[in-house]
Amino acid sequence: MRRHHRGSSIRRPEQPALGSNESYPTRRDVFALAALGLMAGAPGVAKAAGPAGQLTWGIHVSLAPTWFDPAETPGFITPFMVLYALHDAMVKPMPGQPLAPSLAQSWSASEDGLSYDFALRQGATFHNGDPVTAEDVKYSFDRYRGASHDLMKNRVAEVEIPDPQHVRFRLKEPWPDFLTFYATASGAGWIVPKKYAEKLGDDGFKKAPVGAGPYKFVSFTPGVELVLEAFDQYWRKTPSVKRLVFKSIPEETTRLAALQRGEVDIVYSIRGELAEELRRTPGLTLKPVLSPAPFWVYFADQWDPKSPWHDERVRRAASLAIDRKGIDDAITLGYSKITGSIIPYTFEYFWQPPMPTYDPAEAKRLLAEAGHPNGFDAGEFYCDSSYSNVAEAVLDNLQAARFRVRLRPIERAAFIEAYSHKKLKNLILGGSGAFGNAATRLETYVVIGGAYVYGSYPDIDALYQQQAVELNRKKRGEILDKMQLILAERTIYAPIWQLGFINGAGPRVGESGFGLIQDFAYTGPFEDITLKGS
Amino acid sequence: MKRYIARRVGYCLLSLFLLSVTIFFFVRVTGDPATLLVEPGASEADIAAIHHQFGLDRPLWVQYGIFMASLAHGDLGQSFYYRTPVMELYLSRLPNSLYLAVVAMALSLLIGIPSGILASVRVGRFWDNAGKLFTLLGLSLPSFWVGLVLILVFSVYLGWLPSSGSGTPLHLIMPAFALGWYFAAAHMRLTRSSMLEVLGSEYVKLARLKGLPQSLVIAKHAFKNALIPVLTLAGINLVIMVNLSIVVEVVFAWPGIGRLLYEGITFRDFPVVQGVVLMGGAMIVIINLLVDILYAVIDPRIRLES
Repeated sequence: MRRHHRGSSIRRPEQPALGSNESYPTRRDVFALAALGLMAGAPGVAKAAGPAGQLTWGIHVSLAPTWFDPAETPGFITPFMVLYALHDAMVKPMPGQPLAPSLAQSWSASEDGLSYDFALRQGATFHNGDPVTAEDVKYSFDRYRGASHDLMKNRVAEVEIPDPQHVRFRLKEPWPDFLTFYATASGAGWIVPKKYAEKLGDDGFKKAPVGAGPYKFVSFTPGVELVLEAFDQYWRKTPSVKRLVFKSIPEETTRLAALQRGEVDIVYSIRGELAEELRRTPGLTLKPVLSPAPFWVYFADQWDPKSPWHDERVRRAASLAIDRKGIDDAITLGYSKITGSIIPYTFEYFWQPPMPTYDPAEAKRLLAEAGHPNGFDAGEFYCDSSYSNVAEAVLDNLQAARFRVRLRPIERAAFIEAYSHKKLKNLILGGSGAFGNAATRLETYVVIGGAYVYGSYPDIDALYQQQAVELNRKKRGEILDKMQLILAERTIYAPIWQLGFINGAGPRVGESGFGLIQDFAYTGPFEDITLKGS
Repeated sequence: MKRYIARRVGYCLLSLFLLSVTIFFFVRVTGDPATLLVEPGASEADIAAIHHQFGLDRPLWVQYGIFMASLAHGDLGQSFYYRTPVMELYLSRLPNSLYLAVVAMALSLLIGIPSGILASVRVGRFWDNAGKLFTLLGLSLPSFWVGLVLILVFSVYLGWLPSSGSGTPLHLIMPAFALGWYFAAAHMRLTRSSMLEVLGSEYVKLARLKGLPQSLVIAKHAFKNALIPVLTLAGINLVIMVNLSIVVEVVFAWPGIGRLLYEGITFRDFPVVQGVVLMGGAMIVIINLLVDILYAVIDPRIRLES
């Protein structure tokens, strides 16, 4: 018995899951889902007049050629700003669908959770005219060497091709998160043309990438700009805008000036006062997007019995002392989402903890109760220097509540290195925009052995092991809920917000593409982006 | 003479060797580039794979040997971030930096020299004081601030000039001014002091006693001699402008070598940092060598003393 999916979401309650005790879809459901799939997949349904015009982006980072090749995708979101234009995936997050059928028209999982079958979309082609085949899917998976390479290769026994239109992934053992990783958390499911990639080699492919996405590669000047052109044959729809230009403008003020002058049409990452300026400028539109990147304060010394942070009341007092709303209003104009969790609320298996409150009086009372009526020397507060504005605001709040703490901003790379090598102490301002689900986030930041775990609790570790082998979705969810409850109760972290990523669009832009895809901080899908009046 | 040149060339090669050693090891002190090439929380295996891919898992002296062997063939290595030969990246950015530096230098000389002369012949008066103020501002206002103010005024409020990028002469005006501003002040100060020294010399006094007009004394007798140290400094400054205009290039998104170096440092792209620093060092060393040889040709005492 297999469970079939057409454009369904792993988070929707009506979606069939792997467990044996859940209801199957009715015939009506199947027709409805099939209709959705057909609508999503019907080539040319939304075909417009030919693509026309140009849109220019002012982006905040330097584009790397590795981002043109899905095989090298790291586990963070930035490269997907290009992948969504150049390439296409078997299954990927799309508007209204966290897992939307793309080059795979449908897929199904076996009852025992040991295999996944994908049926390829008919008529999908690469930019060079080659059809997308099962061989390309297998080749792209085998070729993938990005951040989740080891994880995926260790769990996938084999990729089979029963016929040219079908691909089967055989797992070594049941892995409930297979689709999460294949479709969202890695580049393994983004398909490249086998013959072309083999002919050009890895370096050649990066210099002249060919994909199956809505836009074709035209030129790339390292560190300067990337130019793309609409691919008329894209299966979902013909893009509306003919030419896309991505210009790297690292300085935030200059990016905003370029938008104000109309030199660019869309800019990424404008913060604080500059975002306010953008909002005030006639003709420009603020485009805030809630990114899947929670920030938090981590109490690195809580496992040291001699440290004041060992006392749960002290940690709770610190959390109560943080004026999250004030910080949000000042830095991200109120567009961040205050959260009590280190897990994005859109992640699968997210459990909603109580919302954190700002209560400095209660914070002082708790401190006094814990034996520190006049506060205490709370040590260092480490942060990535690019977010020192957030850390400074938190520091002010903590000092006002009598935590005598000193800020230690560290250059980004050194911070990540020191954090992951457990060289920091006292307090750490952390955050993560990595893909995954609640389990993957807990594994990295809470459970023993995690890359950023300075200590752990045996009951949480035991629960983590239980959920890792639990195939029943509901039961697994209950275990993960329990873990998140303990996380909140013990104030292992003091979560702050889920970052509001503020962008801007100019007067020529019709549909900017911001916020269409859930948890995607950039513009997309590119074939939906329009010029005003087009 | 041949011995002198050979010795100078030897010193140059030694300087470049020492620079290569310094930059090779110094850049590695900044930390592990793999940290920035994998996502937070990547496994040790992922990091080890990155190390292996870029040869960072080999002993340092082996890495240095490979670096030097490649260098001998004109190969500066491959960028970790751009996956492109560093030489190719460098050469693609060099024309932009040269273009910017030449225009900025011309601006700085056009502003610095006349204002320096004016200040020296009007010592203690209005133009001299104005010049001092200009020098103070030029040397103390950071170029990123000057750049941002220029963008706000001429791009945003007046709408006359493009805010960033390259491609037309209009794109060049603000970066060249922001870059040349500091050097104009430096050239003004040097011109003034050099002119004051020359104006106080015996031969200038003699020229005045002979009744030559003031303009002729200044233009023909004083200025020509006062110009030598200014031009020497300008030559060195030009090389600095080409290679180290990091802030201006970042503020104006100007695709030059300074921005390449900034990107290399940001991403811990060792080959890029090594390549840019070495090429910049080589430029300075070669120019110094040429100047030394020129001095020796002009003045026999120098080569005899050597």
